[in-house]
Amino acid sequence: MQSSATHANNYRPYLLAPAGSLAMAQMVVDEGADALYMGPLGWSRRPYESEMTDEDIREAIDYAQSRGCDARIVLNTFPSPLEMDAFTDKVKLFGGWGASGFIVTDVGAIRLIRELLPETQIHVSIGSGITNAMDGDFYQQLGADLLILPYRWGEAEIDIVRETSSIGLEVFLFETVQTGKICPGKCIMSSYLKFREWQQIEGDRDFHGSANRGAKECYRVCQTHWGFSSDNRSDNAAVNDHPQQLKLRSDAQLMLDQLPAYIDRGVEYFKLSGRERPIEMIRDLVRFYRRVFDALLDGSQTDMSVYHAEMEQLRQRWSKAKSRRVGTLMARAKSYSGDEPAASDTAVMSVQPRALSEPIQPNDAVPANA
Amino acid sequence: MFELSTNCANPKQLRQTDFSDFDAIYLGDFSCMEYPNNYCSHPELLEAAVSELKAQHKKVYLRLYATPGNEDLPQVREMIEAALKLPFDAFEVHNLGVLRILQQMGSTLPVHLGVFGNLYTDASARVLKDFGVTRVYPNPELSLTEIHYIREQTPIEVVLPVHGKIPLVISETCFIIENSQSCAKKVDSNGNSVCSFPCSQDYWLNRSNGQWVLKDTGRMTLSGKDLCMIEHIPELLQAGQSYFYIQSHGETPEYVQTTGRLYRQALQQAEAGNRSDDPQAEMDVLNALSKEGLCNGYYFEGAGQTYIARG
Repeated sequence: MQSSATHANNYRPYLLAPAGSLAMAQMVVDEGADALYMGPLGWSRRPYESEMTDEDIREAIDYAQSRGCDARIVLNTFPSPLEMDAFTDKVKLFGGWGASGFIVTDVGAIRLIRELLPETQIHVSIGSGITNAMDGDFYQQLGADLLILPYRWGEAEIDIVRETSSIGLEVFLFETVQTGKICPGKCIMSSYLKFREWQQIEGDRDFHGSANRGAKECYRVCQTHWGFSSDNRSDNAAVNDHPQQLKLRSDAQLMLDQLPAYIDRGVEYFKLSGRERPIEMIRDLVRFYRRVFDALLDGSQTDMSVYHAEMEQLRQRWSKAKSRRVGTLMARAKSYSGDEPAASDTAVMSVQPRALSEPIQPNDAVPANA
Repeated sequence: MFELSTNCANPKQLRQTDFSDFDAIYLGDFSCMEYPNNYCSHPELLEAAVSELKAQHKKVYLRLYATPGNEDLPQVREMIEAALKLPFDAFEVHNLGVLRILQQMGSTLPVHLGVFGNLYTDASARVLKDFGVTRVYPNPELSLTEIHYIREQTPIEVVLPVHGKIPLVISETCFIIENSQSCAKKVDSNGNSVCSFPCSQDYWLNRSNGQWVLKDTGRMTLSGKDLCMIEHIPELLQAGQSYFYIQSHGETPEYVQTTGRLYRQALQQAEAGNRSDDPQAEMDVLNALSKEGLCNGYYFEGAGQTYIARG
């Protein structure tokens, strides 16, 4: 992997596009993506509808390779310690079929892949939840090639990472000014509140229900409406808010204006998200970004403002699809909303839940601090 | 032999709380360096705290800030430098960049990986051991079967949380300040934002139609329910676990003392081959201390907020 210090003469960043299906894989290759990424069923933190069978992945690798496009495999769940053999089999399988890299989260899995496939490209998944440049140093020491940067990071952070290590950089084609809860990577709210049922198509696995671990998806509980208030038992009216409705975390939007600065800094990969999006939307986005990058790289168009109107339309389509998606996920979550375990949970347990003694007594006000 | 540990954020908590039932204390609140007199961010407070706890024959571990941005790293280095001059028994890290900093600074102290270190596999435990980690806190999503497997497969200590709210997500900014209607940001005469510490009160997130409740402490969101494993202690000891932890972030001195007493009692009884005489009475006490009831997290392969009794 070339760092920014060495890319000067032959620098060409990769436009890395999503493939949630074989049809999407073929389409993004045809639209000019430099590389595509796809996830095998149950191993890439997506619902099965936007993961792929091993056979489809093989076909997608062949299609991409024959047209000069790299294929990357997403294995970014946190595997169970009981399924590392199965994880290893997947790495060998896809590496043998010609996949040129893997997107991974678990540090044990990163070392395992590096030992199995010394020449492959290892991307440190956004699910690692990095917060500073020394994280990049750690992952480089571990043997990773590329660090996927948090959505919230900008040029200043890129410069610091470049000064700290020579690990390659990958940015999402997202922007957000929001910091806040670190997602993905440091959040298990979804699985605390609800597990999900396995689908037959996904096969049997040794653990249950968590999005981080490959069980379909996060239910985006942060993006539904919550009531938020201080303790009702507090006598202090100044801090005892009336419950207010809010979302715990809002979403990022597509990026445009930062691209010239990122290109100047030699960012190696630009990643478009959206394996679960409509294929027409991904087609239009790959086509759009291909045009933007080509013009930036040959110097024919470096003024991003000429694309603003077009970008706005794409953002609106993106946001609309996102809202529909969150609605769908929350509708699924409601069916499990009670305190009792869902039927699918009790099925794997040897004992039944019981009611605890009543009542729950109020506690004193709880000062967390000095 | 077992070790029962908990956490202590600052001198006030150390002063007000009876930690006599605990063998070890994790000093500092890893979620926010701005907390008043947080041991994570006040090197000048460390010596007195270590001295006091050592006088009580306890092991003392220093927590390092869990989500340091680049701008926070100098302060983290300052904390490490101060701690290395004192008789701490270990550092706790949640961030892998900080793990590298400890190596760079030549620390030879044992390192514990904290709850936000994302430890899911024995393969990761082996990697982290090479970076100086001697103890890991498994991600709360792991089942007991998986945790036992990791302990058996790796030459590394595994700490097992047995009681308290489960840390679910950590944040780089304060959710309460950003969202509470009564907590407008304040700015001092130099233009720096000043925290009014609304987190000294409880804040809760509720989704009424889903019966979902979470506790928010500003930079960390915890489970609404308290993890409770007191009736499963004999099985945990039989499985070879020996490092037990009570998560007491933001709880009262009464909470820390009561949970410590009950769990030490349960551990001692189990070590002697006995079960509690009246587990329901202990459960009732713990249930009364909780605000949203009890759960046993993910240990029995259910969603985190479920409670499964011993069969």
